[in-house]
Amino acid sequence: MSTAPGMAMQEELTSRILRVGLLPILLTLSIAFMAVFEQKFFGLNNIFNVLRSTSFLAIVAAGQMLVLIVAGFDLSVGAVIALTSTVMAKTMAAVGAAFPEQNAVIIPLGILAGLGCGLFIGLINGLCVAFLKVSPFMVTLGTLSIATGLALLLTQGIPVYGMPNGFVKDFGRALWFGLPTTVYVALAIILAVWFVQTRTKFGRYLYAVGGNLQAAIVSGVPARLNVIMAYVLCSMLASTAGILMTARLGSGQASMGGNSMMLQSIAAAVIAGVSLRGGVGKVELVALGALFLSILTNAMNLLRVDSKMQVVVLGFILVIAAALEEFAQRRRRHV
Amino acid sequence: MSESAKAEEGGVNVIGWIAQAMLPIALVLLLLAFAAAEQRVLSLGNLQNILIQSSYLVIFASAQMLVIITRGFDLSLGTAVSAVSVVSALLMTGSLAGEGGSLGLAIFAGVLIGLGVGMLIGAFNGIAVAWFNVNPFVATLGSLNISLGIATMASDGRPVFNVPREFSAIVYNGNILGIPAPILFAGATLLVLHFIMAHTVFGRGLYLIGGNPRAAEVAGLPRQRYVMIAYILCSVIAALGALLLTGRTGSGEPNLGGNLTLESIAAAVIGGVSLRGGVGGVLAVILGALFVTVLSNGMNLNRIDGNVQMIVLGCVIILAVFLDRFRAAAT
Amino acid sequence: MSLSATVPDAAVAGQPGQTKAAPSPGAAQAPLIEIRGVSKSFPGVKALDDVDFDLRPGEVHVLFGENGAGKSTLINIIAGTFAQDSGEFAFMGEPLRGLTPHRARVMGISPVFQEFSLVAEMTVEENLFLGREIARGGVLDRKAMRARSADIIQDLGFALEPNRKIADLSRAHQQMAEIVKALMGEVKVLILDEPTASLTERETVRLFELIAELKSQGVGIIYVSHRMAEIRELADRITVLRDGRLVKTLDAEGVGENELVELMTGRKIDLLFPPIDHQPAGTLLQIEGLTLLNGDAREIDFYARAGEITGIAGLVGCGKSELIRAVYGLEPIAAGDIKIAGETFAHPAPAASLARGVCYFPSDRVAEGLALGRPIRENVSVSALGLERFARKGIIKRLGERKLVQEIVGQLGLRPPNIERLAGNLSGGNRQKVMLSRGLTRETRVFLFDEPTVGIDVGAKVEVYDLMKALVGEGAAIVLVSSELPEVLHLCNRLYVMHQGRMVAELTGDDIEEQTVLACFFREDGDGVAA
Repeated sequence: MSTAPGMAMQEELTSRILRVGLLPILLTLSIAFMAVFEQKFFGLNNIFNVLRSTSFLAIVAAGQMLVLIVAGFDLSVGAVIALTSTVMAKTMAAVGAAFPEQNAVIIPLGILAGLGCGLFIGLINGLCVAFLKVSPFMVTLGTLSIATGLALLLTQGIPVYGMPNGFVKDFGRALWFGLPTTVYVALAIILAVWFVQTRTKFGRYLYAVGGNLQAAIVSGVPARLNVIMAYVLCSMLASTAGILMTARLGSGQASMGGNSMMLQSIAAAVIAGVSLRGGVGKVELVALGALFLSILTNAMNLLRVDSKMQVVVLGFILVIAAALEEFAQRRRRHV
Repeated sequence: MSESAKAEEGGVNVIGWIAQAMLPIALVLLLLAFAAAEQRVLSLGNLQNILIQSSYLVIFASAQMLVIITRGFDLSLGTAVSAVSVVSALLMTGSLAGEGGSLGLAIFAGVLIGLGVGMLIGAFNGIAVAWFNVNPFVATLGSLNISLGIATMASDGRPVFNVPREFSAIVYNGNILGIPAPILFAGATLLVLHFIMAHTVFGRGLYLIGGNPRAAEVAGLPRQRYVMIAYILCSVIAALGALLLTGRTGSGEPNLGGNLTLESIAAAVIGGVSLRGGVGGVLAVILGALFVTVLSNGMNLNRIDGNVQMIVLGCVIILAVFLDRFRAAAT
Repeated sequence: MSLSATVPDAAVAGQPGQTKAAPSPGAAQAPLIEIRGVSKSFPGVKALDDVDFDLRPGEVHVLFGENGAGKSTLINIIAGTFAQDSGEFAFMGEPLRGLTPHRARVMGISPVFQEFSLVAEMTVEENLFLGREIARGGVLDRKAMRARSADIIQDLGFALEPNRKIADLSRAHQQMAEIVKALMGEVKVLILDEPTASLTERETVRLFELIAELKSQGVGIIYVSHRMAEIRELADRITVLRDGRLVKTLDAEGVGENELVELMTGRKIDLLFPPIDHQPAGTLLQIEGLTLLNGDAREIDFYARAGEITGIAGLVGCGKSELIRAVYGLEPIAAGDIKIAGETFAHPAPAASLARGVCYFPSDRVAEGLALGRPIRENVSVSALGLERFARKGIIKRLGERKLVQEIVGQLGLRPPNIERLAGNLSGGNRQKVMLSRGLTRETRVFLFDEPTVGIDVGAKVEVYDLMKALVGEGAAIVLVSSELPEVLHLCNRLYVMHQGRMVAELTGDDIEEQTVLACFFREDGDGVAA
């Protein structure tokens, strides 16, 4: 290993830049771009908008990251958001009819019902992947269809109203200390996930299971339990985002989340260097990835890029990010 | 040792046989169950209907089969179908809108551009997967959105009407010796594909690449080229199916793809195309497509809500995974 | 979260020098492990057939046998990786049922396999504590673990940095990490599977000192090795396995090398390795100044002639496999020239190599050799599908294919000769024959063998050697890369030795003998301690 240290260092540097350095550079560039071309970007309302959508996305992407770390994949997150939104709104409306004005009953029950959806779908995903060792793509493709079907069936495509005003006005659309409430929830979640990843056995086990399943099992890591937990957490985080989005919007909608949220959550994670092969991923970078994507979407909106075109751009970004990630991995393996 | 090996082989065959026979039996049971609820299911008209309906799915599932055999996957199939439908319909109507547009030329150009769009999407997938080593799910997830964007942008989200009747007359209402055109097209596709998979170096290469990509490369097979061609073929075949569907509806539909991705994957995997790569054939696709078609036909005739059908489809996908697992354990 | 029953103390207890019991080795006491009539089958192979084995406290019990003799199956059963089909397995007098790798480890059975049980993307320290983290209520005590791992590594005397990522370590250091990991708990039985295969001499010496310490503490050690020198130095008893059956368990004292090899192979050495009449002719493969992009091999000069077997020996990870893989086009090349029969071969790639008559036979036949889910026929013809004999204009001549493959497979003695069986149902020896058949489907002048006898039984081994002999007789050039010393010592006309990516010796004639080769293996040239 003594020759060509220069070559090795250069390779190492390239791979570093490819893995971590890309994001801050992209972020700075996009903000600089907006500073030059679209001053509206820096309006307070717009910044709130960006922060809100970053928060929603970061929560979902953090869940997606957990699943990716155990070498999995979750296509159903968008559908879980839709299902959560409709179920929670329906529950609140129904409970609200039975106990009018009893917000202390209505809101917790609604939130529980919403989280229950995440738990349910996450359990199906996790159990199938952990016990059948089948492709997570197939399983979550199946649950994607199931959850979307359920959400549509519940609402017949019509928005569900009837959530307590307190929930929408005093929480969903409120500001705490000058910032949208969602931002605090997202920060708390990111901090919690960071703590779990770096400071707990469970976090370490997730990396081990994704990094070398056989080694983890031999070392006594309860691999199946960890895989199931990752899927359940992922779906429940998606549910949490669904609850926040519904509270902000004021109605339960089966069209919420959907394809675009799923795509963005995967893109945010992949941009942040989360490996599709498992074992690698940091939540703080994923949050940055979410921030970048939200700025990008917002910028495209401000610049009046057709929303259909935005979908195309996202598709390209996802594929390019994955290609770069693969490239970086290959380099690493050669060093 | 050879004795024990032989016994082993015998054992495998019995379980393998059960795995093989399960699907046809399930198919018949399904038909009977639906028929019990609704007699029309077994009427001659409906059976012919099932055949015609399944010919579309057969085409899409056989496209999907090509890439699944290479351990791949095509999530963009449905939206590619939409994009092809919209773009070719736009071209046909557009070239007829002016004075004196030639009908034959318009249809020809529409078909050509439709297949061309398919080829482009396939090339995107194939290059990303084979040359840039992007995970097939991610690559086709990306192109899913790209083709969705193309479909909705080109049509502005609305159906493109006035597709020439003559086009539908050929690809939907046409027949040879009383056999409806869709069945003919599906049959031709299957024959060609069967020949490719069973008799050509390329087909053999796909099986070996799916069986063990690394070993295939060591053995000197051009893995990247073959995989790319598989994705292109997949999308071109899907484009063919899209043109047939456009002929049936008589309009270019930005939502034509709908559940097709899910249905095509379900059909291929249920039929026995292994998600682990290297296993599967045309016969599997026919059986799988029939199964899925009978399921949705039966539910339609029994007036089951479309959203419920979506849930059932999701369950069927998961069931397909179970089946795949069982088959893998059997061999 | 009931993740694992981690008791901080468990990590503390097993440190060498703290274990209480210290019985004298060899004393007659209850065995730690007692195995009676154990059998185990895998699809196509009976890996173990009615084997007895026991391990006493404080002894080094060497498992000796060829690759595929059943050694790894036996240690895997003891380590709980899989269960035996039949037979008794008792640990400290207690019969064991439903053993898992984790339970085995908790009970004090610590294996060090050749395939590392390390997570590449995690640090040394994280790996050491994997599954037994020091934690309170699920929250890690990172300080305590840092201190402990530093202590243990220092006590064991290995040059390991606890906070380095495993992926960034050399193979030797990964091996050390694996050994440290095995000694983390309270160890009663230590299983070492060719631990020195990737260690340099200095580290090997340290390992042997450790083994002596552990013995004196009453730890029983199962040691798998091929190296006579090691066996002579360490072994108390030796169990010889052949083709899944127990040949004999004998006391190490007074056992001769030849006796062992004959027990292992079941035949005299000169019958195992056919005498080869090397008739060196023109140079078919010439390499000058070859350096790989990843640096695994550097500035290599090398040639192989028609009509002789040219060997390359060296430790695991010395770059010998990578060298011939690069010639075939599987490893990117940074600099240097490759000439095939005098013609420069600028950009090696598998298909181009095959076209020039160069064929490579990978050591890992599962990962790189065969499509296990496809029939033998397809696996044989795959490399020759471009030839007129097998296909015209991209369309396969199925009848001709069947006939040709049947013929070639028959030549190699594949049993049973049913070419429609799936490759996955074959034994190791038959799999190798399928691979070799591939080389015979087309005109091949240069055969690159990478560990050709790994995982196959003696009978198949002899057949592989005979095939090599026949090929050399027909004027082919054979390059044999092997970690099995006897193989290269007996078969090669010329033998190269590689060490840390460089060619360090080219031996001919009487220089080809064990001591000379081993001396080259252990050459310390300054950068022995990889960063």
